[in-house]
Amino acid sequence: MKKKLLSLLMVAAMSASMVACGSGDAGSSSDSAASTGVSITILNSKTEIQTQFEEMAEEYEESTGVHVEVYNADTDTTVASQVATKYASNDPYTITMVDAKDIYSLADDYAYDLSNEDWASHTTLGITVGDKLAGFPFCVEARGILYNADAIKNITGKDFDPASVKTLDDFTKLLDELVAGGMEAPVGILSEYWSLGAHWFPMVYEEQADPDAFVNGLLAGTEDLAGNEKYNELMDTFETLVKYNYAKGSASNADREETSMMLAEGQIAFMFGGNWDWSVINQYDYTENLGMMPVPQNTTDGTNEKLVGGGSKYIFVDSSEATSDDQRQAALDFLNWLVSDAEGNAFLTEKCALVPAFDNIDASALDPLSLSVKSYADNDKLVPNYNYLPDDHMTVVGQEIMQKYLDEAIDRAEVAKEVTDYFKTATPIAH
Amino acid sequence: MENEKAARNKKIKHAVMIIFLALLFVAFIFPFIMVIINVFKVKADITANPLALIGKHGFTLENFPNAVNKMKFFHSFGNSLIITICATIGTIFLSAMTAYLIVRNDWKANKILFVLMIASMVIPFQVLMVPLVSLYGGIFGVLNSRITLILMHIGFSLSMATFMFHGSIHTNVPISLEEAATIDGCNKWQIFCQIVFPILKPTIATVAIIDAMAFWNDYLLPSLVLGRKELYTIPIATKVFYGTYSTDTGLIMAALLLAMLPILLLYLFLQRYIVEGITAGAVK
Amino acid sequence: MKTNTFSYKFKQYLLFAGISTVIFACVVIIPFIYGLYLTFTSWDGVSRSKPFVGIDNYVNAFADAGYWTSLGRTFIYSAIAVVLVNAVAFIIAYMVTSGIKGQNFFRAGFFVPNLIGGIVLGYVWKFVFNKALVELASNLSTGHAKSLLATENGAIAALIIVSVWQYAGYMMLIYVAGFMSVSEDVIEAAKIDGCTGTQSIIHISIPLMTASFVQCLFLTITRCFMVYDVNLSLTNGDPYGSSALAAMHVYNQAFINKNYGIGQAEALILFVICAVIGGLQVYVGKKGEVQA
Repeated sequence: MKKKLLSLLMVAAMSASMVACGSGDAGSSSDSAASTGVSITILNSKTEIQTQFEEMAEEYEESTGVHVEVYNADTDTTVASQVATKYASNDPYTITMVDAKDIYSLADDYAYDLSNEDWASHTTLGITVGDKLAGFPFCVEARGILYNADAIKNITGKDFDPASVKTLDDFTKLLDELVAGGMEAPVGILSEYWSLGAHWFPMVYEEQADPDAFVNGLLAGTEDLAGNEKYNELMDTFETLVKYNYAKGSASNADREETSMMLAEGQIAFMFGGNWDWSVINQYDYTENLGMMPVPQNTTDGTNEKLVGGGSKYIFVDSSEATSDDQRQAALDFLNWLVSDAEGNAFLTEKCALVPAFDNIDASALDPLSLSVKSYADNDKLVPNYNYLPDDHMTVVGQEIMQKYLDEAIDRAEVAKEVTDYFKTATPIAH
Repeated sequence: MENEKAARNKKIKHAVMIIFLALLFVAFIFPFIMVIINVFKVKADITANPLALIGKHGFTLENFPNAVNKMKFFHSFGNSLIITICATIGTIFLSAMTAYLIVRNDWKANKILFVLMIASMVIPFQVLMVPLVSLYGGIFGVLNSRITLILMHIGFSLSMATFMFHGSIHTNVPISLEEAATIDGCNKWQIFCQIVFPILKPTIATVAIIDAMAFWNDYLLPSLVLGRKELYTIPIATKVFYGTYSTDTGLIMAALLLAMLPILLLYLFLQRYIVEGITAGAVK
Repeated sequence: MKTNTFSYKFKQYLLFAGISTVIFACVVIIPFIYGLYLTFTSWDGVSRSKPFVGIDNYVNAFADAGYWTSLGRTFIYSAIAVVLVNAVAFIIAYMVTSGIKGQNFFRAGFFVPNLIGGIVLGYVWKFVFNKALVELASNLSTGHAKSLLATENGAIAALIIVSVWQYAGYMMLIYVAGFMSVSEDVIEAAKIDGCTGTQSIIHISIPLMTASFVQCLFLTITRCFMVYDVNLSLTNGDPYGSSALAAMHVYNQAFINKNYGIGQAEALILFVICAVIGGLQVYVGKKGEVQA
């Protein structure tokens, strides 16, 4: 009996492997769902809106007949490597959402030229590589200091006006007042390397008169970072934030969820971040008056009146032969729908609470942080992102250098020296 | 007298061991308790105080139905089950046979195969990741298939399983038994099926639980091979709860508990075989 | 029947290892060779062109100071973790096979934590280190205690603790199987000859369990050398990149810094080191193995 069972299992195992050898394309037909209509896939790398995306996909299929499958970007790895493995396996997404810098590396081989699309005239934020418009700007995002006005008012008794703390001196005065009023440490700083290395430190380049020339100078080793005025202005502010950091002492271990919760509930009043932080903050019992303001600095160049940001998350449509013409057309229709259809607009601004990158889209019902960003954007008060930093800038500068600085393990001169040294060996991004 | 003393010593020794184990056990089980405590709380309360039994938003069961819906639990459960069962059975048979061949025959080909297998166990998966998808996706186009995944699982786990069977055939299967069977007229295949394989029961159980657990929980390989939602296994489906800027901790805890139940049952079932220690009987 | 002809050997091989060999070659060997080829190109991981650059990547890998630092760190981490994992696993295995009350319960209990896999494991432990233990330490001493994860050595220590926690239950399984395979009769005989419990472990059980030791040591050594997921979810290299172990460095090099060729070359160097250490250990272990 046992023997029979055993040989039966053996046969099963063997035949399974035999079958597998011959079943070349058994499950790989990407258009298996295409019997009724076209089927397209989307990679969503803005993971916090995955649920909204999936709901939208269902409604979109009902109204247009196009089957849309939305895939969530993998948070264990980078979007770039996920896209890379998809192309390596010749199974790309029809529509892929990536960061600006990824567009430059992907555009030549895989991005379809979008310059003939109707929406192209409604935005200045698209990414053009060579002579093709490769990146569709998904939304506008900006960085700055998030504040909880209710928490401040509770102590000062006055309504908080962000315009009153443009300079570091005014800002420090307010911080001292908050401390005196009982808020022991009014500031939160995220210790994640992307926050320090991709959000904070790049402001040093972005707020220069000519960012590209400055970064090229660093790469060539001709720029004096330690003596640079903007560098020192921003580091002055950073040191002030560090001084009032609630997690001082183990700053490089501050937990992002906890810091966001403390801001939301008013246990701290300020945190460096961006409007994307809303998706974390709204999970907690947030108070009513939250907002975003420029990073205070003792400066005269006007950057302390501006947020830093611009187009964020770019979409490209696959141009390879793995995508059929019908799928590509459906993808283009979808992008058009986002910009030109009331439903599409509502998806962006109402369901996902994103600041739209197109001038024809009405956005009055946004979350408080996005409203701040929108008002700065509308008044032309955004310092643009610099998208050509070397690939390892975020990890080296963010983790190996700025985290030490955050923990007060090294001083400002050492930061300047280490960053300067880093740039000497960094690989420039062609653009 | 002597006996009584020995019995008392034994009792004391056992008591000390039980206390020691119990303390260690608490440390071992602690993170697990954290999961159970937090699965009944909403996310805000988990962040606020993960140690508290009940948060200020109160006790909730919501995480379970939400997790089940969001990850299409039963569908992905089915996928995981098929893949795990087939891959585990395949691995056990193939590796036990291979190990038997290697142990009992001192051939060059066997040595080469065994050395290659051992060496392959230390290949970091990242080295194979991109080549694997380039070859089987880019050139042969066989991704997005459960069978491909099962075969890849088997391929990756063969080495370790063969290694384990190799060790236990080497030490636990008496060659005299096989010689006796040969005299009785059994061929190699019959010897393997009727004599060797049954003796290996404890190792089979160990390999089964270790491999089944690895297949059940594996994320990276399935995520590379199964690119279509209808093929998703539980670990891939659970991924919807992780985001770069937000992570739904409550749902993750619920998904985790739901996902580990089958493996727990399998372990409790197989433990019996590991315990039986059949070898002793065979030697007599 | 002749057993030394080529055709007999060939048939036996096909029967017992044919399928294994084919699957193994397809899944591991061929991709590995292709991966080896990629180390001689300057491919960035995405584009269609894979320019051949000879041994440039190896030159760069040898010049990458961060890689060697992370490798040194990995050696220290592995050495400590391997000893602790096996010591704890062996002791537990001994105790749960010694016939005490509730041994089945303990066997299951120590294994259960293993079922928490992947990222959640890191999250849960991160919380334990950053909140629970800090709170405890702050209550015991004056002033704000620093989390283990916030210091450079502490983060490595935390990784070791979690590794012990993660693998001890798993290795316990193999040791339990080993203990069970040591015949009761032999132990009884030893007792009659006047062996104490400890003596019988050292002189009888341990030599008879060489196979289990070889397996466990090999598994822990290789796993420790290649650890990635716990490293990612627990420390992600923090603080200051000081806890990034070799596999993480390799991964970041290939996929975050987009130096795919260099990352792949560094991974292969890691592979060679692991293979040498693992091979040596198995070779030594097999020498001392007791034949049945």
